[in-house]
Amino acid sequence: MARGKTFSAKIPLELQRYGLAVSSVAIAFGISLFLYNNKFEGVEFPLFLVAVAVTVWYAGVGPAILALLLSSLTFNYYFTEPRYSFYVNRSDLPYYVVFVLFALLITWFAAIRRRVERNLVESRDELQREVAIRTQQANLLNLTHDTIFVRDMNDVITYWNRGAQELYGWTAEEAIGNRSHDLLKTIFPAPADERVHDRVEAIRTEFLRMGRWDGELRQTKADGTEVVVSSRWSLQRDERGNPIAVLETNNDVTERKRREDEIRGLNQQLARRSTELEGTNKELEAFAYSISHDLRAPLRHMVGYTELLQKHAAPTTDDKGRRYMLTILDAAKRMGTLIDDLLAFSRIGRAETRETMVSLDQLVKEVQSELMHDTEGRNLIWKVGTLPDLYGDRSMLKLVLVNLVSNAVKFTRTRSSPEIEIGSNEVKSDGVVVFVRDNGVGFDMKYVNKLFGVFQRLHRVDEFEGTGIGLATVQRIIHRHGGRVWAEGHVGSGATFYLSLPKP
Amino acid sequence: METVGRILLVEDDPKDTELTMTALEEYNLSNEVVVASDGEEALDYLYYRGKFQRRSGDNPAVMLLDLKLPKIDGLEVLQQVKADDKLKMIPVVVLTSSREERDMVSSYRLGVNAYVVKPVDFHEFVNAIKELGVFWAIINEPPPGSMRKK
Repeated sequence: MARGKTFSAKIPLELQRYGLAVSSVAIAFGISLFLYNNKFEGVEFPLFLVAVAVTVWYAGVGPAILALLLSSLTFNYYFTEPRYSFYVNRSDLPYYVVFVLFALLITWFAAIRRRVERNLVESRDELQREVAIRTQQANLLNLTHDTIFVRDMNDVITYWNRGAQELYGWTAEEAIGNRSHDLLKTIFPAPADERVHDRVEAIRTEFLRMGRWDGELRQTKADGTEVVVSSRWSLQRDERGNPIAVLETNNDVTERKRREDEIRGLNQQLARRSTELEGTNKELEAFAYSISHDLRAPLRHMVGYTELLQKHAAPTTDDKGRRYMLTILDAAKRMGTLIDDLLAFSRIGRAETRETMVSLDQLVKEVQSELMHDTEGRNLIWKVGTLPDLYGDRSMLKLVLVNLVSNAVKFTRTRSSPEIEIGSNEVKSDGVVVFVRDNGVGFDMKYVNKLFGVFQRLHRVDEFEGTGIGLATVQRIIHRHGGRVWAEGHVGSGATFYLSLPKP
Repeated sequence: METVGRILLVEDDPKDTELTMTALEEYNLSNEVVVASDGEEALDYLYYRGKFQRRSGDNPAVMLLDLKLPKIDGLEVLQQVKADDKLKMIPVVVLTSSREERDMVSSYRLGVNAYVVKPVDFHEFVNAIKELGVFWAIINEPPPGSMRKK
């Protein structure tokens, strides 16, 4: 026993307990003998009972039985007639029986009391251990910056950590005892299922079924500002499985939510813009479609009827009249070419590109043979270097090359020994650079900015024909491929056109 | 003499009609041309309705069809013709000003037999019409049940 150890650890515990039995009986016997000799009779019986009671109280049942035995013998030997013998009168028997029964009763009560006391001590120790663990856990929970609180099944807050205080602004003393959803004015998310009317009840049901819940809540802080939290609930149950408490861990996502809303807003704006753009694009397309249909028909009629007139009125028309008719035809045809070029140009922006690896070498050969009837009979010198493969839309890249090369052919027409050079070099920052150089009439560098504009021309129509759309088309195609175009030239000594394409 | 098939020309613009007829005249094909000036009239002709209620004869040997037409446009006419068991065998040539890809794609999807863009140049235009007329009205064997003239 704990107490035995305190007064002497050396004496064995059993010896101490039975020693107590012997000594308490001895003390009771001493006092009884003293009183008996001083004419106080009848006290010995209760005194021995006290000895038994003391023994059972402090030493337990075994020593108490020893004390009872010793008391009975001592009492019999010294205090009942005939004295100094163990003989028992028949008339004294009930006396002993009552004594023994009474002593046993005391022993029994004492044993029960001891057991109760032991249980009490044990549960107290257990409680203390539990409290120690809980305190430690609570301290740990206080260390984290996460917001954690515990509420019972009536939503009353029973625990409130430092993170909760930091987020909401109430101290643990202020918060504990309040109903959490009232204190925080919690707004629950709208349920996915529109048929659910009571969203709080729906969440509660799901939570009780699953034992956990997470979602986004809007709550109000002590200072009245709103906060959005990502909330996780865990359900605590007792050993019989009844729910007893809810651990709620909340993370402040107000800022993240705000940014998400901002992004969503921007996205909506973007979607709106793109719808607007789509609309504009559709309008443009309708415009081009209508040009394609309606603008060409009158032209065709102008040409057709002028031709018919030529035939019909030929005998009566003089040279002047014939020249007028030819001019009408020329003008109409030029208008036709303009419309076709313009439509082709507008189509570049609308058409989808189909990008593949394209052999530039092959493309140059095709373009050369297509331009054959413009170059035939001229002693044109071609200088074609080693050309790379390009990544892009084949038909569009071919259109680029057709425009650049036919320009070179056109503007070297006045040269006695025309030369066209097509080559490429690789530049790290630009990818692949391709150039088309000629020794034609060239251009003044101060007009270089106008070269690639739609309908921009640096020559009169009677010098060099053209619509002024070719280089604009080139630029548009190369821009769609993520590259760039530029040019160098001098009046009278040729021009070089460059284009760069990013490597795939 | 060769047999000449009947040509149904669906064209709303009288100038285009006149130019087309001029081109066809050079090959003596104009006598066998019926002109419908919009999509509705073209269908009336094919179904013996309206002013063509009492017309005689069978299906035309070829239909030259403009796309931009009042009332019922060319693509709709094409769709109805190709959806009708009695008419679907008539060769249809779209003859239009537009080089728009989507018109071309829609026409071929609907089962057009040829697609011709009217050239701005008159000589090219005349040649195109002539060749079309000669091919479809003379060279080509039309499906059974088409109007032909000895």
